[in-house]
Amino acid sequence: MKEITLNLRARAMELLAGGRVDLVIGYGTGSLPEFVRPVFVDRPERAEELIFNPLCAQNLTKYILDYRDQPGRVAVVVKGCDSRSINQMMADGQLDREKVFLLGINCPGLADPVLLSVAAGRRDWQVEAEPEGFRLRWPGGERLLPRDEFLMYRCRTCEHHNPVVSDVLLGDPILQGETPDRFAEVRRIESLTPEERAAYWDALFARCLRCYACRNACPACTCRECIFDRPEPEWVARVVAPQSNLAYHLVRAMHVAGRCVDCGECDRVCPVAIPLREINRKILKELAVLFGAPTPGTSHPAPEPLATFAVTDPEVWL
Amino acid sequence: MSVTTPTAGTISRPDLARLLAGPAADGRLVAPVRTAPGVVLFAPVRDPGALTLEYVNSTVSPKGCLFPQSEKILGWRGGGPKLDLYSPPEPQPLVLFGVRPCDLRAITVLEPVFGGGYPDPYWRRRRELTTVVGLGCTEPGPYCFCVAWGISPVAAPEADLMLTPVDPGYLVQSQSPKGEELLRRSGVSLQAAGTEPAVLRERRTAELTARFRRLIDPTGVEAAAERLFDHPYWRELARRCLGCGICTYVCPTCHCFNVIDRTAPDGSGGRYRCWDSCLFERFTLQASGHNPRPTRAERLRNRLLHKLSYHRSRYGLEGCTGCGRCVAACPVNIDITEVVADLKGMMT
Repeated sequence: MKEITLNLRARAMELLAGGRVDLVIGYGTGSLPEFVRPVFVDRPERAEELIFNPLCAQNLTKYILDYRDQPGRVAVVVKGCDSRSINQMMADGQLDREKVFLLGINCPGLADPVLLSVAAGRRDWQVEAEPEGFRLRWPGGERLLPRDEFLMYRCRTCEHHNPVVSDVLLGDPILQGETPDRFAEVRRIESLTPEERAAYWDALFARCLRCYACRNACPACTCRECIFDRPEPEWVARVVAPQSNLAYHLVRAMHVAGRCVDCGECDRVCPVAIPLREINRKILKELAVLFGAPTPGTSHPAPEPLATFAVTDPEVWL
Repeated sequence: MSVTTPTAGTISRPDLARLLAGPAADGRLVAPVRTAPGVVLFAPVRDPGALTLEYVNSTVSPKGCLFPQSEKILGWRGGGPKLDLYSPPEPQPLVLFGVRPCDLRAITVLEPVFGGGYPDPYWRRRRELTTVVGLGCTEPGPYCFCVAWGISPVAAPEADLMLTPVDPGYLVQSQSPKGEELLRRSGVSLQAAGTEPAVLRERRTAELTARFRRLIDPTGVEAAAERLFDHPYWRELARRCLGCGICTYVCPTCHCFNVIDRTAPDGSGGRYRCWDSCLFERFTLQASGHNPRPTRAERLRNRLLHKLSYHRSRYGLEGCTGCGRCVAACPVNIDITEVVADLKGMMT
């Protein structure tokens, strides 16, 4: 992964120095070992701020929305999962492909920062991905952690280690084995009785803070004005209560239905660990079962089952 | 050896369950509960066995017990020609157990806001009805920096009853009539501490303070903030801000709210006070359409400077208590301790 970082910096420097892009959005070192952060590199000499390591989880494509209407072009670092957002933004008419340069990274899978912190047991470590696992290093010591045990939850069901769209690709291509079952948890929840299922979600939504981090981090949430922000009419009550929280999450899931690329950012950012991704995955499962549709963003252009009517559409719910 | 004051002494670990048994049985106990892996929240607890003591700090601060996220402050019945107003029922008396010193300090930070020139009756009533049981820390967490604000991690005056862990039990200090009453009703008797309680607390404070790793010195940050108000730093920092409300909602001292009227089709309804966040675009949007904080840069700067400067200049109190929650929860690693260092660094 060291090579990826070095190549990334070289590419960024080249793009900025040559005037091909005005800004490179990538990952940089965070304030503590378990954190990385988005960095916005606007000069060639700042390219050395860029890194790539197994903590680079955030889907940076969301930031494109801040720059797409400005003159010039931005480069964005995308992993396989993030790259689906680019295709979907184009399908949604949200992005002109010419406005972005995609620094694609063939990503072998990320590590869970909490598990790494616990394993390190100290506050001065760094992590690198190696073929055998995740290598933790600290001054005067190191430890190799088995990949399977420390792999981030979302990476366990990775569909695209290699970006589906990019302008350059960094790192060796990764053999995409068979994708593990992404719908196991959805099926578990489906198998509950309606009462059990209601109790399951009610308990989770009861602790929702309505901080809207799931919405703000979501690359499919592109509305200029969100209905949850409109005071009049008040579509969903701003009074925080289990019922209005349920309404919020279901409305949000429906708004991104058929457009959610399953990047897992809603899950990652939730401060109270509500497994929001499973709601979206329920919809993804329906798409797969009813229409044989792949995860949105897998290719572009692609059929959009929920935005298209065909007389052959299954109508099992009618 | 005699107890130095009648309201200080030690209790054993099993005594803790006895102390809380009454309020738990009455449905008045709110305590930290491990809600999910990595999530500890203050919640009603019916059985003292269900609460957790294995936490550095709760994921969300307990301020909601005194300042609920959504609170009905007025109701009306509809249908008739005249609006029939009523006051919502009184809040329940509570015993709020397990509040850490950073969150206890937050009560003092919020007191001039809600109890100052325009006393807030809702806050006031909940303060009166809540017995706060503080619990000193045993280990600083990875994001903790309360000591930077001069807070002792083991004791704080805001608690009605302060528990400081001293192996093998707790040093208990009653600090108000409410604390004394909780102690008296529980039937738990305090044992004489082998050492003077104040000395014991000082010793524990020193031991724990030395173990903090996030050392920041906020001296001078207020002056820096004033000088650097228009610095491009804020725009650069805000590039990565998602504009969500996590930092404000997990914070023990953020206190902004909005007032919302909701009316049902039958004309009945209520007026609610709900937490709001200065990170939200609509927070400062005016009826004219003008927004004095039009971008995330102004909004993020406002939150950080409210913590580091405005609260201090208005009330003489630090607006941050070093609980570290915003650092832990921010999805894009905006770290207030780093902001302090950056601002000071730009001044030299």
